[in-house]
Amino acid sequence: MGEVKTVITLICERAADLSSETGENGHLASQPGVKVVKFPCSGMIQPLMVEAALSSGADGVIVCGCQIGDCYYREGNKMIRDRLLGLRPPGLKKADRRRILALWLARPQKDRFLSEAKDFQDYLTQLGDPAKPAAKAPAKPAAKAEAKPAEKAEEKPAEKAEEKPAEKGEAKPAEKAEEKPAEKAEEKPAADKKSEEKPEAKKSDKKKSEEKAESKAEGNGDESSKKDDKKDE
Amino acid sequence: MGKTNIFNAFFLGVEDLTNKVVKSKYNPFYYHGALPQFIMYILFLSGLLLFAYYVPTVDNAYSSLNLVNAFTSVDYITNKIPFGAVIRGVHRYAGDAMVVAIVLHAVRVWFTDRFRQYRWVQWISGIVLLIMVLFIGQTGYYLIWDERSLLLTRMTVSAFDSVPFIGESLKHWFMNGRTITNLTLSNFLFIHIGLSFTLLFALWIHYVRMTRPVITPPPALNYILMAIVFAVVYMVPITATRMADLNATPTMMDVDLFFLWPYQILAAAGPLGYWFWMVVIFGALCLVPLPMFYGSKPVEAAEVVNDKCVGCRLCSLDCPYQAIEMVPAPAGSRFKLLATVKPFRCSGCGVCVGACAFDAIDLPNMEDAEVTARIKQLVEA
Repeated sequence: MGEVKTVITLICERAADLSSETGENGHLASQPGVKVVKFPCSGMIQPLMVEAALSSGADGVIVCGCQIGDCYYREGNKMIRDRLLGLRPPGLKKADRRRILALWLARPQKDRFLSEAKDFQDYLTQLGDPAKPAAKAPAKPAAKAEAKPAEKAEEKPAEKAEEKPAEKGEAKPAEKAEEKPAEKAEEKPAADKKSEEKPEAKKSDKKKSEEKAESKAEGNGDESSKKDDKKDE
Repeated sequence: MGKTNIFNAFFLGVEDLTNKVVKSKYNPFYYHGALPQFIMYILFLSGLLLFAYYVPTVDNAYSSLNLVNAFTSVDYITNKIPFGAVIRGVHRYAGDAMVVAIVLHAVRVWFTDRFRQYRWVQWISGIVLLIMVLFIGQTGYYLIWDERSLLLTRMTVSAFDSVPFIGESLKHWFMNGRTITNLTLSNFLFIHIGLSFTLLFALWIHYVRMTRPVITPPPALNYILMAIVFAVVYMVPITATRMADLNATPTMMDVDLFFLWPYQILAAAGPLGYWFWMVVIFGALCLVPLPMFYGSKPVEAAEVVNDKCVGCRLCSLDCPYQAIEMVPAPAGSRFKLLATVKPFRCSGCGVCVGACAFDAIDLPNMEDAEVTARIKQLVEA
């Protein structure tokens, strides 16, 4: 798998300072495949933009804002985080949430960003190509963290291999979903293994992204059940 | 243009270290505004308890055995009432903590560049709040009516007296008469309590331009703060002093620098020098947000695309600076409400753009359609 995964980074101007790494065309010199779009504040990021990136063929999207609690404009990072989690309208509609990574980094944490971006690209390589639209499970609105051990138990062993990069040794799904009956109907269980594993995988991967996010930010206690003991490395 | 300078970087570095120890939800640096608010509650509550037993009079006829005046009532609270000394200590040291917390708050606001342009109301009202807090603390020191109180009162009278034109009136207002009497002390009590409640009004102005201001630290931080205050109360008990004697002339003694630093200036520079320095210091602080000191680019306020706005209110609710107001939609519109931007409050952050699902609001130099096009272009590149 030598193909370089395309990752679009939507980052705010006051979060991790990538200006020394970014070429004029927005490509990161040190991390091929990662392309950067800057915003005055991460709160300006519309979920539509994230979906546009994924639907036009990007393998993944990184959303990066300031540390939770320290947004220069007070609330922008909380806004985009809540929108991505489905706690605040507008939200994601069709995006494969495994392909979205949220990072909350302070200005000096450029190296952290680069290493997370690299890990994310490795993870995307394991995920394979973006699934066709019919097979993608829709984004589920996320409730606050309630562990759903029952759903986790449904995981197939095959998923574990895929989730290893995602797992950080905790077996708790990220946030949880009010599974809407409509969304369940959209999943195509038999044909596509992905759609069944998606709820769990998505949870664990959204968890992964949240863990990553929280491990940086030790963010808001709202999603804290999974990250009670997480410390910033 | 660098978005940060060395001081900002210092704070970010320290906060990053703190985030490694505690989760960012508990990082005290992120609650630098909320901590003074909490300390204010401690002061209100402890002050209320002290108020129950405090007597604002100056009578000190030594011949009376059952002398009741301000000093003896404070003495009674400290020595006779169970935990009276604790409450008094809490009130005193929470007051010092308040000054420290406000100064740290101001320092962080300054160094992380959160006081300019659309935030000027918060900064100026913060200066006013600081002056009020300092004066409230000073009146607190007068209320004890010990030798230090008498000295401070006389120094204040001389400072007021030296103000041109209105000095005489100020002095008489302050003393509530021509000399120091019982009326003076009840005036001090009125100022101490009345100005404390006025803080609430000034705080309203301080908060009004912010949506969902962070004014409540997480309980864990509150407990830690209370523990620190109590630790100081037990480790540094308040030393007993002597009752004020209007016939004597006390000299300068140990002063609590947190509140009484202006008196050091007054003692050193005399009344006119004192006013000069006060005006210079606080005037300079008020001038801090002026754009001539910081070459910041002007904010390009968000603009609503009126025909696309459906009045869903999300931009207005999400805006961190109360810069979007919903007004009734014009006649003939399908919708009931229309968003309008108040440009002088706009920070140019774009949270409203992120909130809008209808492409009805834009930052003029960065339209979301352009951004989406750029994203697609980058993907395909």
